Amino acid sequence: MKFTRRNFLLGTASSSAVASIFGAVSIAEAKIVAGSSSTDRKLIFKMIRTLYPHASFPDGPYERTTDDVINKGNADAGKMIMMRDGLRDLADASFQGLSFKNATSYLKSIEGSAFFNHVRGTSVVTLYNDKEVWDILGYEGASFDKGGYINRGFNDLDWLPEPRIEEHPDHANFFTATQKRLAAVNQNNINQ
Amino acid sequence: MNIDKNESAVVIIGSGAGGGQMAHQLTKEGIACVCLEAGPHLKPEDYSNDEWSAFLQMAWLDARGTSGSWRVNKDFPGLPTWLVKAVGGTTTHWAGATPRFLDYEFKTRSTYGEIKGANLLDWPITLQDMEPYYDKAEKAIGSTHRHGRPPLPANNNYKVFANGAERVGYQYYATGPYGTNAEPYDGRPGSIQDGFNFQGDKNSSKWSTAVSEIPKALKTGLLDLRPQSHVVQITHDSSGLVDAVIYVDANGDVQRQAAKVVCVAGNSIESPRLLLNSASDMFPNGLANSSDQVGRNYMRHMTGSVYARFEKEVNFYRGETMAGFIGDEVINDPSRGFVGGYYMETLALGPAFLSSFLDPGAWGADFAKMMDGYSNIAGMWLVGEDMPQSTNRVTLSDSIKDQYGMPAPNVHFDDHANDIAMREYAYGKAEALYNSVGAVQIFRTPPYPSTHNLGTNRMSAKPEDGVVNKWGQTHDIKNLFVSDGSIMTTGAAANPTLTITALAIRQGEYLARELKKGNL
Repeated sequence: MKFTRRNFLLGTASSSAVASIFGAVSIAEAKIVAGSSSTDRKLIFKMIRTLYPHASFPDGPYERTTDDVINKGNADAGKMIMMRDGLRDLADASFQGLSFKNATSYLKSIEGSAFFNHVRGTSVVTLYNDKEVWDILGYEGASFDKGGYINRGFNDLDWLPEPRIEEHPDHANFFTATQKRLAAVNQNNINQ
Repeated sequence: MNIDKNESAVVIIGSGAGGGQMAHQLTKEGIACVCLEAGPHLKPEDYSNDEWSAFLQMAWLDARGTSGSWRVNKDFPGLPTWLVKAVGGTTTHWAGATPRFLDYEFKTRSTYGEIKGANLLDWPITLQDMEPYYDKAEKAIGSTHRHGRPPLPANNNYKVFANGAERVGYQYYATGPYGTNAEPYDGRPGSIQDGFNFQGDKNSSKWSTAVSEIPKALKTGLLDLRPQSHVVQITHDSSGLVDAVIYVDANGDVQRQAAKVVCVAGNSIESPRLLLNSASDMFPNGLANSSDQVGRNYMRHMTGSVYARFEKEVNFYRGETMAGFIGDEVINDPSRGFVGGYYMETLALGPAFLSSFLDPGAWGADFAKMMDGYSNIAGMWLVGEDMPQSTNRVTLSDSIKDQYGMPAPNVHFDDHANDIAMREYAYGKAEALYNSVGAVQIFRTPPYPSTHNLGTNRMSAKPEDGVVNKWGQTHDIKNLFVSDGSIMTTGAAANPTLTITALAIRQGEYLARELKKGNL
């Protein structure tokens, strides 16, 4: 089994058992891609926006995450069926029209289902690994090729005083004398 | 050098903190050895400044099982540990913290007394025995704050951490001791504070056996380093001495290397697994397992993290990841509701990993609010002594096999009541620290897949209590050694790499002496 970031995050036992049952079904021959219709895409998009609601994020990162949820949700026949069933449940609950509060309540009610786990588990990895999201959150990504942060703000926090970086002068005593004293106290307690 | 496969060689299995150090110690003494490393030979230029890419590049992702009540079993059932499969082993990934064990941490059974459910045992060696080797290990690693090595400067995460420490009345805080150069040392440059550390340090300022001991050993011309060589079995002769190791090479071919001495250093999961997978008619419970202690007493440290969001910017991802320590809670004061102590250490993650680990499975508005404030987050890791328990155990899985068809390890772990009490207490103290400097939102993060894996081939004075003697030599088979963190009798509060290094230097000197005397 190839190890991907997602299958260790989600666990593998149940999905691989399903996959082996439907292993004979060829996705290509079936020509079904769960979640590919525009209605389904909108449902997944809304689900991800509800799971990870960031007013500062434009649609782009959520769209890319939606793509990933659909692609990985069609990796094998078992997943495709799981996706199709989950999307039908969302549609039956009129999820697209729910307010944020009601959409959150609905997702709470399906938390732990295979479909929920797939969408959430994929989204948390893909959304927060999106470079546009990093920019918005203020994370600068790779830094070695820019010379690290030694001259670019690794110590630029100025709302607190400069702290000591050396060990306390009593450090050695604390880690020896104090420990022996405490150990002796405890030994006395045990003996009493 | 190339050592003939039919020549009975000194064979080291693994090239991390234990195995890499053994290769250096032996070749330094003129003793040739074969080092078999399961992973590839990654070099600093191969390392990636990207959390997911680096994880997929170097993490040990072979099939494994988990069981028990620990939360890792729920959130990451295929990934009990976060270890590295590459030359350098987990020293490629380690953060760099190098505290020593304290005096009483070598004699916890005597100090703590009988703890229900805990299989405590005093080490057969003391801090006094270890002190000269701690000195050597600190010099090998180049620990800051030690032997004239200067401290690292304060980074942003440390500024929050140390100011909080001061405000809640802690005294024993500093930016080290830490195994990354503040200034050039041992042929490696000073830190450029690039913030990538768990991914392997492209700048080589961080000590690892991949950039220090392995290159030094190769330079002697006496090391036959074989990457992508995954050992599946150790064999023995009719007298019960080990005589060869069987491994799968990069092409998938099964090879045999004859051996006069075998040093097992595959970490606390793979080392007991290999001994168990080497069971034979003579040793039906696995090699060196007459005590039935192989695989038992698995420890992973009491861990937890606290991440706090502030009103102003921190940018905690910049700079050395773990260059911040508070030692005030490393005391044994049972009035706190638990025995043993813990360190508080700075920790930072990028958005990719923070989102996955902050509170695995979490979603919704509060979670998003925390992530929205990513620039304003500070973080720390809590790492303390956990109780060895006989039932916390690495066994051979009866259902999962690895890519070579060998039974995979299953890692069973239940937190001891002492571990839980310590974690709750530590969370409270960490929150108080961050609240004292104005935290506006705080998350208590559960343990990650284990990075500190200890105790599964423990050292004991008596053969019936453990697997190896005070030199790391197995009680049952005199030419079989264990050279990694699995030999730790108990885990102490300290991050283990310094102690693994010190033990390996000590074992290397002993083994060299014994070989030269012709005793092995």
